[in-house]
Amino acid sequence: MQSDKSLLLEVDHPQAAECRKAIAPFAELERSPEHIHTYRLTPLGLWNARAAGHDAEQVVDTLLAYSRYPVPHALLVDVAETMARYGRLRLEKHPTHGLVLASSDRPVLEEVLRAKKIAGMLGSRLDDDTVAVHPSERGNLKQALLKLGWPAEDYAGYVDGEAHAIDLAEDGWTLRDYQRDAAESFWHGGSGVVVLPCGAGKTLVGAAAMAHARATTLILVTNTVSARQWKDELVRRTSLTPDEIGEYSGTVKEIRPVTIATYQVITTKRKGVYPHLELFDARDWGLIVYDEVHLLPAPIFRMTADLQARRRIGLTATLVREDGREGDVFSLIGPKRYDAPWKDIEAQGWIAPADCIEVRVSLPDASRMTYATAEPEERYRLAACTPEKVGVVRDLVTRHSGQPTLVIGQYLEQLEELATALDAPVITGQTPVKERQRLFDAFRSGEIGLLVVSKVANFSIDLPTAEVAIQVSGSFGSRQEEAQRLGRLLRPGDPGPDGERKIAHFYTIVARDTVDAEFAQNRQRFLAEQGYAYRIVDAGDELAGR
Amino acid sequence: MRSSIARALDGLTRGELSVLDALVVAGQTTDSELVAIVHAEPGYVAAVLDRLRGLALAWDSPEGLRPLSGISDALIGGRDAGVSGLRPCSSTPRPREEIVAAVAALPDGARRMLDHVVAEGGTAKSGSARIGLSPDDAETPAELLIALRLLVPGGSLLPGLLVVPGEVGLALRGGRTTTEPVDVVPEVASAERPSRLTLSAAAGAATDVVRRVELLLEWWGHRPAAALRTTGLGVRELKATAAHLQVGESEAALVVEVAGEAGLLGTRADADGNQVWVPTAEFDRWRALPTAERWSRLARAWLASPRLPSLVGERGPDQKPWNALTPELSAAGMPEAKAMALAALAELPEGHGLAAGTGLPSLVARLAWERPRRPRTRPDLVAWAVAEAAVLGITGAETLAPYARPLLAGEDPAPALAELLPPPVDHVLVQADLTAVAPGPLEPDLARQLQQVADVESHGAATVYRFTADSVRRALDAGWTAAELHAFVLAASRTPIPQPLSYLIDDVVRSFGRLRVGVASSFVRSEDEAALAALENHQKAAGLGLLRIAPTVLVSTVPIDVLLPRLRELGAAPVVEGPDGVVRVGAAEALRARTPRTREVADTARAAARQSAQVAAAVTALRDGDEAARNRPASASVAGGGVLSALRDAIERRGIVLIGFTDNQGVVAERAIRPLSVEGGQLTARDADAEPDDLDAERRYAVHRISRVVPTGT
Repeated sequence: MQSDKSLLLEVDHPQAAECRKAIAPFAELERSPEHIHTYRLTPLGLWNARAAGHDAEQVVDTLLAYSRYPVPHALLVDVAETMARYGRLRLEKHPTHGLVLASSDRPVLEEVLRAKKIAGMLGSRLDDDTVAVHPSERGNLKQALLKLGWPAEDYAGYVDGEAHAIDLAEDGWTLRDYQRDAAESFWHGGSGVVVLPCGAGKTLVGAAAMAHARATTLILVTNTVSARQWKDELVRRTSLTPDEIGEYSGTVKEIRPVTIATYQVITTKRKGVYPHLELFDARDWGLIVYDEVHLLPAPIFRMTADLQARRRIGLTATLVREDGREGDVFSLIGPKRYDAPWKDIEAQGWIAPADCIEVRVSLPDASRMTYATAEPEERYRLAACTPEKVGVVRDLVTRHSGQPTLVIGQYLEQLEELATALDAPVITGQTPVKERQRLFDAFRSGEIGLLVVSKVANFSIDLPTAEVAIQVSGSFGSRQEEAQRLGRLLRPGDPGPDGERKIAHFYTIVARDTVDAEFAQNRQRFLAEQGYAYRIVDAGDELAGR
Repeated sequence: MRSSIARALDGLTRGELSVLDALVVAGQTTDSELVAIVHAEPGYVAAVLDRLRGLALAWDSPEGLRPLSGISDALIGGRDAGVSGLRPCSSTPRPREEIVAAVAALPDGARRMLDHVVAEGGTAKSGSARIGLSPDDAETPAELLIALRLLVPGGSLLPGLLVVPGEVGLALRGGRTTTEPVDVVPEVASAERPSRLTLSAAAGAATDVVRRVELLLEWWGHRPAAALRTTGLGVRELKATAAHLQVGESEAALVVEVAGEAGLLGTRADADGNQVWVPTAEFDRWRALPTAERWSRLARAWLASPRLPSLVGERGPDQKPWNALTPELSAAGMPEAKAMALAALAELPEGHGLAAGTGLPSLVARLAWERPRRPRTRPDLVAWAVAEAAVLGITGAETLAPYARPLLAGEDPAPALAELLPPPVDHVLVQADLTAVAPGPLEPDLARQLQQVADVESHGAATVYRFTADSVRRALDAGWTAAELHAFVLAASRTPIPQPLSYLIDDVVRSFGRLRVGVASSFVRSEDEAALAALENHQKAAGLGLLRIAPTVLVSTVPIDVLLPRLRELGAAPVVEGPDGVVRVGAAEALRARTPRTREVADTARAAARQSAQVAAAVTALRDGDEAARNRPASASVAGGGVLSALRDAIERRGIVLIGFTDNQGVVAERAIRPLSVEGGQLTARDADAEPDDLDAERRYAVHRISRVVPTGT
């Protein structure tokens, strides 16, 4: 236990698994590289533990029991004090006033009533210990109280929504243990975020949550292609029929008991208003599913604040937001309810092991000079798009011929150039949806063995057959993009004829001694912290067939 | 005499003071009589009497046992200080039975009055009460009490006052000076603690405080903390320190103060002559000691220290916050408060510590019994002592740590502590995310080396280091070589070195020193490499400090005006190159002096011509001025009484105005300015076109000399 409130867990210790289980309710897993995993105690984590029924004594006992060294007294006191702040304020249902904020500790209530940010959210004072709350401010109030350090315990419960029978159709397949655990801990917590690696079957966790709720459901996804995938998966894995599932997107506007909408259509603004906001009120939704919650656009945060009475589940592989709004995700959608280290799921065989390799190319002298004199904002593009990479990609593709391969990049010219050089089809944002669908289908069926794709393929595109990905450029240093791209490969394929499991190959090609390499290091950090060690090779060695 | 009595009394417990008080009440008495009037076990009274005799506060006169004269005046304070509030007995007291009977027969009013007077210290103003009446003539309760001799006139010692004689007070309290027993020592509320918990908390805190002191001084050694004029440490410095140590500000203040008390911290002047706090030379000796010994140095310094770090951040009597390291931040009673509080903890049964909630108040009550007379701030001092002891690891979970017992006894606590400390580890675990985790306290040498090559990301019992390009570069700057770095990491790590780390080191090494910087005063350039080689090797060129940095470039350590003539002496024919690379040629200028001024011969014709030229120039200037005035923006010029309000207006809107004014030489001038303030007939303004940070652009104008103001915008 460190003085910055991080906990270090020795993975190879015989008690490691036991300890991990004991600390998981209150500590957040921050990094999980190969030897020592780092957890952190945060007020939010401790409050969530309180919400889940753990008390400070249990937490302190656990820390003392598993700590290898004496635990500083001040930290233990701090844990107890932090946890004691939870639940001094309660949000309750009131027979006449609807929603009220009640307190058992009058000074605390007085303190928060005096906070400027809170004032507008509260109604009249009912008595010394109770204040009316505008029901629409439930989410904002909770968020504001959390920031003040006096989180309210929400007893107001959830509306059930319009009942609708949904069952999992477990014919020939069953929910995996971790999927069942994730859905259950979500359901017991009421609302929250489930973090699972790409390819670990988050859609099924969503389906399981729907089967718990047995109510009409609104599913928000990133794009149309992934909306179709959700629909197919739901039809295959649940009792739902295609007629019960509606798609609400730019082209189709169906509202059915289960409706899948894209973020884009909801956040479309016309004349200063969001015309599709009505979707949230179109039915009495019992559950709202947010897919890829790390991409949730800002307007949806505001809309979500009004939906606090409905159950919400967020799904993601990487709760790393480049805009730093992780806190908003937690307070509006709900705390992290389930998280598993990628390597654990890999060890269970549910995601494919991956071999991550960084291939370094040297810029030729002429390019180095161009690079050195370029404007700073041009440098990344110059370095990332160096023609040297084309040759390396070609060699890698040849080496892995026969294995379905994706070439992923950021810049269209570069992708076009690669597509020409490799004689492969290319998919970018400009490719029509139908064409995209066709190419993805062909790739899945094995008709096409090589696709060049832009960032449209970063998320939610299920390409289970992909075994090799070659990344030539990306969105600067985006860690979550790197993780998502690796995620494309992690869907475990069927074991080969010799019973051997597939090993994914993830290549990143970077130009040596440029910002490209710096960004690559930043991008790789998340994966390194998840235990994916990168190997670095020189393009020369790699080409020589090493 | 009086002060020595006071000092002797200060050292007594409440029980001892109560016995002494009884002796004063009794006046001259015997041991057995005294035992009878003190509400305590006879054995206790006897033991206390021995002590009082030993201190010469009580002595045996031929007539009987007596208190030292002066003691009755020195016994001050209420019941808390062992003072019963009874007056001394009369020299010839009446028999107790008589008094008891008189009291029993008192009517209610008189009885209440008597009780009140006794409770209030045994004296009352006589007022209009008549003295010398018989009980039957008494009209008021006071007169009745006087008539019954339950209240007697104070005589010459207490003129105008009535006194309840000691024997009456004793009778009212059932024959004793107090109604409650005086020999009951308040118990410290305690609770049993598992020794595992105590040891873990205390040893954890002990290692933490040692680590923090080292961290602090290590940091201040490189980035000294500015001292206030009062030599204290400013609020901002304390905040920064707390953040660096990852603790709260109060704990940071304690760490700083303990370091100071242990002699590890001192002030010196920095390069600008400002006083700064830096570690002392003693710090280097201290840090070489094993952890347990380092702790014992700190703990001893704290124990003896009168400093009050817990006050830091609170406001003093002058409403100014107390700063750490300020000389005034101390209290003479603090060391005693610490020693006594810890001694009280040491007396608790093995494995027992202060009970939660009630423990601290009971400890305060106990110390108040042991030393009732002073200091008045004890509740604070004791609370601070207990809180600080926990941070220092002298206590753990409110229980005295076993190794603190030798400390309190003045022995060396280090061996006992050393057994509890985890042995230092000699390796780290290096991971692919470029972190290295030391799974325990590192051996000091290894820790120091690691700190050079990696940044500390989190500290505690274990330490997390992170390798970054910057940290590796820092190591290279400190003289490490690539091979040494690789070898060091390999030797320190128990796990295989992840490849990204090796690459990181190699990458940094490759770019390290790619640019080289040096000092030169001039250079010599030539396309003729042979000529440069000849020059470099020329015997007489030795003094020029020539160095060949490229085949066609020599640099020299001497400036160009020395180099040039010397090169010519050597037979070269150099030309000078300007900063833009262009050759500057020019013959040396011949020297000239300034022409002396000579008075011109009067020449009327020339004078007239000159005068008319001057007039013409003046006319032109005037007309230009008129022209300029016509072309000026339409805003009206303000003159006279409007000047002031126009200036105020400009100040408000922070605008620029054009003013016309007469300067000190009587010359009328015009200037565009940005007025700042008008005060005492003086306008302060900045020149309109001045740079914002140009301090010289601020000027003052007498308002009465400003003839007009033309607003021109902002």
